Amino acid sequence: MVITKWMASRGTRCAAFAMLTTAIAAALLASTPVAAASSRLNLDGFGTLGIVHSDEDQADFVSSLLAPEGVGHSGDWSAKVDTKLGLQLSADLAPRTSGVLQFVMEQQHDGTYNPAVEWANISFDITRNLQLRVGRMVLPTYMTSEYRKVGYATPSSRPPPEVYHLVPVTNTDGLSLSYRARFGQATNTLQVLYGSKDANVPEDQIEVTVDAENGITLANTLEWGATTLFASYTNIRLTVDAFDGLFEGYRAFGPPGEAIADRYHIDDERFEVMSIGTRYDPGDWFVMAEWARNRSRTLVGDNRGWYITGGYRLGALTPYLTLADREVFSETSHPGIDAPQAQPLNALLNEALNDAARQGRVAAGIRWDFARSVALKVQFDHIDLGADSEGVLANDQPGFERGGTMTLFSTTLDFVF
Amino acid sequence: MLKRLTGVACGLLLSLLTSIAAAEVVVVVSADNALDSLSRAQLSDLYLGRSVSLPNGESLTPIDQSDRSPAHEQFYQEYLGRSPAQIKSHWSRLIFTGRGQPPRSVSDSQAVADVVSDDRTAIGYIDSNQVPVDNTLRVLDIE
Repeated sequence: MVITKWMASRGTRCAAFAMLTTAIAAALLASTPVAAASSRLNLDGFGTLGIVHSDEDQADFVSSLLAPEGVGHSGDWSAKVDTKLGLQLSADLAPRTSGVLQFVMEQQHDGTYNPAVEWANISFDITRNLQLRVGRMVLPTYMTSEYRKVGYATPSSRPPPEVYHLVPVTNTDGLSLSYRARFGQATNTLQVLYGSKDANVPEDQIEVTVDAENGITLANTLEWGATTLFASYTNIRLTVDAFDGLFEGYRAFGPPGEAIADRYHIDDERFEVMSIGTRYDPGDWFVMAEWARNRSRTLVGDNRGWYITGGYRLGALTPYLTLADREVFSETSHPGIDAPQAQPLNALLNEALNDAARQGRVAAGIRWDFARSVALKVQFDHIDLGADSEGVLANDQPGFERGGTMTLFSTTLDFVF
Repeated sequence: MLKRLTGVACGLLLSLLTSIAAAEVVVVVSADNALDSLSRAQLSDLYLGRSVSLPNGESLTPIDQSDRSPAHEQFYQEYLGRSPAQIKSHWSRLIFTGRGQPPRSVSDSQAVADVVSDDRTAIGYIDSNQVPVDNTLRVLDIE
């Protein structure tokens, strides 16, 4: 499936960061005895137990483009889509210096549930408002990036795929500076981050690697009473090796083939992501919305998604409604090269271009905060796949009919501790 | 005998009911702190983990009560307009960034009074019917 839908990820760690991760872990663990006395060490956790039903049996709805298995083709019901567990250790290591280590267990690109190091970083307060962070940290592409895996903190069953699948990678290895300023009753946080990330992608039988280098992200969050405003911009160099064979094939056809290869190959190309978001939560009700776009002069093209979610709180119950949409703004087909020998290449190129997700979605759900630190959510999704599109689905089978409609029914139990 | 027991039980029940009805959560600082009022927005920001700079340039450290204490729910509902579950959700958005921890939490109003009266930078809330406000504490006007 769908290498083109996406951009980067976790997985292979470069050696330097593996060492840094280990060092941060060691520092955090070493601080335990001191911390026990001064209560500066915090162990926190989050998790979700979820089960989803899909009425589409010829393709999978997946939690992330990095997950090999979802619900639908792989089974009518699946617990793999939403179930996860996270553990976080944070500690004050020295004056003005603190460390965070977070492990997440969820479905990996290879189908295992091995714990992965989500974050391992050390931050240093240069001044009261300026903070330097080094290590593996959250990639703040979206308004809710920092807690996109914490179901308890999320109003709906899962972050809307129309937006969050645009950049499935959740962390990066690098360094960041964030500056916090207070204007009257508003707090503004501006973050600049530089980092890189390698990843493995599930792509049927073959191993696909994705390499995101020299990534720069600017993210700004303004909080003012009940209102949050967010904007971010990311610019990276992206390489995906999955289509090397395809483009080598085209290059054998001379200048016309080379033109196609240069146009679509994902080889150290500029890849941009921009997003804006807002949340208003005065207490009794809330509304949040995000719009995001990725853009590159590659097979991935130009994709845009948005959602709006609103809910009303009635005691422990919060019914909510989501509207979401995802569209592609680049060409989803190409004539290829007019030669009989090029037909297989043309077919593959067009399949990859047409992988770009188009869909609309309406979701209605209810959250029940029935006990301390535990919430139950039930959500019903109606997805309207775009014309000739598989939407955000993966693992589509020969019998899959593009452009139809489908429904999902999700039940999740979210907890924090 | 039975009548007397019933009387005692009724009296207990009545006093329990009146104490619930009359539970009055007030926001307090140490009597050594010159502060006498805060805006509702400042109080919200303090308890939601945002920095608040006071006119005198000082900072305040919020003290919370355990979510098992009845005053906890009443405080958040009355002053911040949010339920304990919403507050928990709010903190789970910050904790898992490694960027914030909720205010230090103590068991009940008495414990808050003890901490706040000893620390002029602390701010807390107490049920003034359970713990009388003595001369070591000052009740803030929340505007």
